[in-house]
Amino acid sequence: MSAAPILRVEALSKRFRGLLAISDVSFAVEPGSITSVIGPNGAGKSTLFNLVTGYLAPTNGTVSFKERPITGLATNRIAELGVARAFQIARPFRDLSVAENVRIGALFGKAGARDVAATTANALALAGMAHLATEPASVLTVGQLRHLEVARAIATRADLLLADEPCAGLNPTETAAMIDVLRRIRASGVTVVLVEHDMPSVMEVSDRVLVLDAGRLIADGAPAEVSKNPQVIAAYLGTPD
Amino acid sequence: MNLVVQTLADGLVLGGIYALAAVGFSLIFGVLHVINLSHGILVLLGAYLALILSTSLRIDPLLTMPAVMAVLFVVGYAYQRLLIQRAVDRSPLGSMLLTFGVALMLQNTMIWVFSPDMKSITPGYALASFKLGAISFDAVRVSCLLASLVMLCCLAALLKFSALGRVIRATAQQTLAARLCGVNVRHVYALTFAVSAAFAGASGIVIGIILPFSPADEGTWTLNAFVVVVLGGVGSPAGALIGGLLLGMVSTLTAQYIGPSFPNVTMFLLLVLLLLVRPQGLLGNAFAPSR
Amino acid sequence: MTQKPAAFVAVILGCAVVLALAPLVLPPFYVRVGQLMLYSAGLAVAWTILGGFAGYASFGHAAFIGVGAFAAGLAEERLAGLPPALLLPIGMLVGGLACAILSAVVAYPILRLRGTFFAIAMLGVCHVCAELNNNIDALQGSLGLNFPAVAPAAWDPAVFFYELYLAAGVVVFLIAWQIQRSRFGAGLLSIREDEDTARMLGVPTERYKRIAFVASAVLTGLLGVIYAHSLGYITTDSVYRDDTNLSLIVYSLLGGMGTLFGPVIGAFTLVFITQVVLARLLDFHLFATGLLLVLLVLAAPGGVLGFVKSWRQRRRAAATAPAE
Repeated sequence: MSAAPILRVEALSKRFRGLLAISDVSFAVEPGSITSVIGPNGAGKSTLFNLVTGYLAPTNGTVSFKERPITGLATNRIAELGVARAFQIARPFRDLSVAENVRIGALFGKAGARDVAATTANALALAGMAHLATEPASVLTVGQLRHLEVARAIATRADLLLADEPCAGLNPTETAAMIDVLRRIRASGVTVVLVEHDMPSVMEVSDRVLVLDAGRLIADGAPAEVSKNPQVIAAYLGTPD
Repeated sequence: MNLVVQTLADGLVLGGIYALAAVGFSLIFGVLHVINLSHGILVLLGAYLALILSTSLRIDPLLTMPAVMAVLFVVGYAYQRLLIQRAVDRSPLGSMLLTFGVALMLQNTMIWVFSPDMKSITPGYALASFKLGAISFDAVRVSCLLASLVMLCCLAALLKFSALGRVIRATAQQTLAARLCGVNVRHVYALTFAVSAAFAGASGIVIGIILPFSPADEGTWTLNAFVVVVLGGVGSPAGALIGGLLLGMVSTLTAQYIGPSFPNVTMFLLLVLLLLVRPQGLLGNAFAPSR
Repeated sequence: MTQKPAAFVAVILGCAVVLALAPLVLPPFYVRVGQLMLYSAGLAVAWTILGGFAGYASFGHAAFIGVGAFAAGLAEERLAGLPPALLLPIGMLVGGLACAILSAVVAYPILRLRGTFFAIAMLGVCHVCAELNNNIDALQGSLGLNFPAVAPAAWDPAVFFYELYLAAGVVVFLIAWQIQRSRFGAGLLSIREDEDTARMLGVPTERYKRIAFVASAVLTGLLGVIYAHSLGYITTDSVYRDDTNLSLIVYSLLGGMGTLFGPVIGAFTLVFITQVVLARLLDFHLFATGLLLVLLVLAAPGGVLGFVKSWRQRRRAAATAPAE
């Protein structure tokens, strides 16, 4: 660990009635990295994102962003500090055009001085959406909507982007394009945390992989070592009896 | 002490009626996600039909129930297929305003046909009453309460055990999946609306026996239904019963102990309070998709 | 979005001057219709700051007309010795303040509700205010309240109130326009589209909703104060009106929900239809209004402006199709 972590999660737990969706999870994310969170369905990946962005309140534990505790802050306050999120199921503002969608992100998001027009244009270009700027969001394809989610999120000038399965349901060409966008975003200085199912793209793009199973963190390391971890293989394929 | 018990007994009777009057509204809300602002009109339609039938045929108003329910079943089916279906998939405001428009048109029509004056249905045993201890019950109220409870049980059984009930519940919980399984969703919506209208009509008969009514009352009955559903929860007869009893008790207790001129104040304070504490109502949404 | 602000203001003020001169040529009946049109348009625009821009359609804005009117009236009654020219501004100050306090207090619980629940809860707020106003003797709701004649002696009161409604309407319109083109307006728009996503993007949704609610309530209350003066005498029933509650939604729906001109178009159209076209068919009133609502929802769910927009799109599509 060289620089101070941009995101630190300590002993985080979330209980829904009887079910422990996240159980005592701790990790830290280095600035400028791409980290993937993987795990079988229902492992608690989306819940983890909901806890970090303040959409849900944790039962226990803390989340810190740039060494500042953000547990219990309102979602919009966390966004103002510089955390952005792209949803798996795209949630565009359907009555608005692509550019207007991204402009909302540029108008709000991280607090501070802003040049809205330039930020909007940059985000559109970075996400490869510039040619679609004037289209209404309601006519976009699933792949284009994912790019719009990402464009709107980075238009907030966030330092940390949480992307929830940006490649789910995309064909290989679209997946490659999305991976490319994520790399460019990282190159622009934004730290990226992904939830992803698509193992080849995870292995290709990530510096580090966290594996969740039934709410617990069962592995944490470089893609190559994690994929050899017997616990991870068991979680994905089931334990041979 | 007697006054308290008498007030509670009155509240019970009123609550049973509120519950029956609201259960159809609740069903439509739960299945179609439509706020039917013409619900009160359907209730009044039942009352006027019962008035006409019972006076012209000289029979007990409660006996007109099958005929009234049959008429409203057909009316409800056609209403949904011809008008509401066209607004269902648009914004919730659209269907709300559509039903409100229909309510205004029908209220106006009722004023032409039946005059704006108060009417009431008077069964033969209107003046009979009996005492249970120190509490007096009149026969009318007891028979109406019983009728309400029986009808609520019938609807609960219909939803739980009949094939129609199963299809309605399936459509409400997973509209897309139901469609994929070959369910004609529009037909089910219309049948749901028909059932809802039939029960609104049944409640209209009971209301007509207990309280005087006029075309201008439709708004009150729609609003009551809404309050009952918010209090009790969406979609189930049990939720309607709980919400109805709560509303009945609160309004009689308010009228008795705080003053008859503040019915809305307590009702809406209760409503807003409950919405804040438990937005799903006491029993929650009967059709909420299970996760 | 690309319109030049100065040009826009000039056009609006130009229209206002034309409308201001209209009473010189209009017969008295139409001056009264014009009053009602301008009053309704002002209310519709005030409503749309919350209902159209932020998507929180209130079904109880008559509460603020009533509270504003009664607060102003009670204050003016106590200051009866002052010259009438002072009473109206004082009344507006008190009425606006009362609405600001009421809406700021009510905002906390009620803005947690969404959609229909918010709409109906606002209806509840309206009924509760009306009932309290009617039953608390000091508020004189059932007894009624007299308002001083504030029109200068040289003016025909009908023309005076026409011009007053016009001035107030223009002010409300320009405020709404400034809101719509500001960052705040963009935030409200994102709340209407998807509140959770808006919050995720850093829009302070709770604060914005409250500000929009209070602004909408205060402007509605100020118009209510003018309305009460034009009536001269009010009771609870004359200001807390359910048909007002309904009309405010219908104006936006008829003209175009969420737009700035929609509510104005809707209010002018509906008032003209009910007051002029249907004036002789009083027995028909409910039926006609209902029929209008039904046709509106079925035929033009986007309102007049939405209808025009989709018609234009279709024409453009038809024009470009052969070229491809």
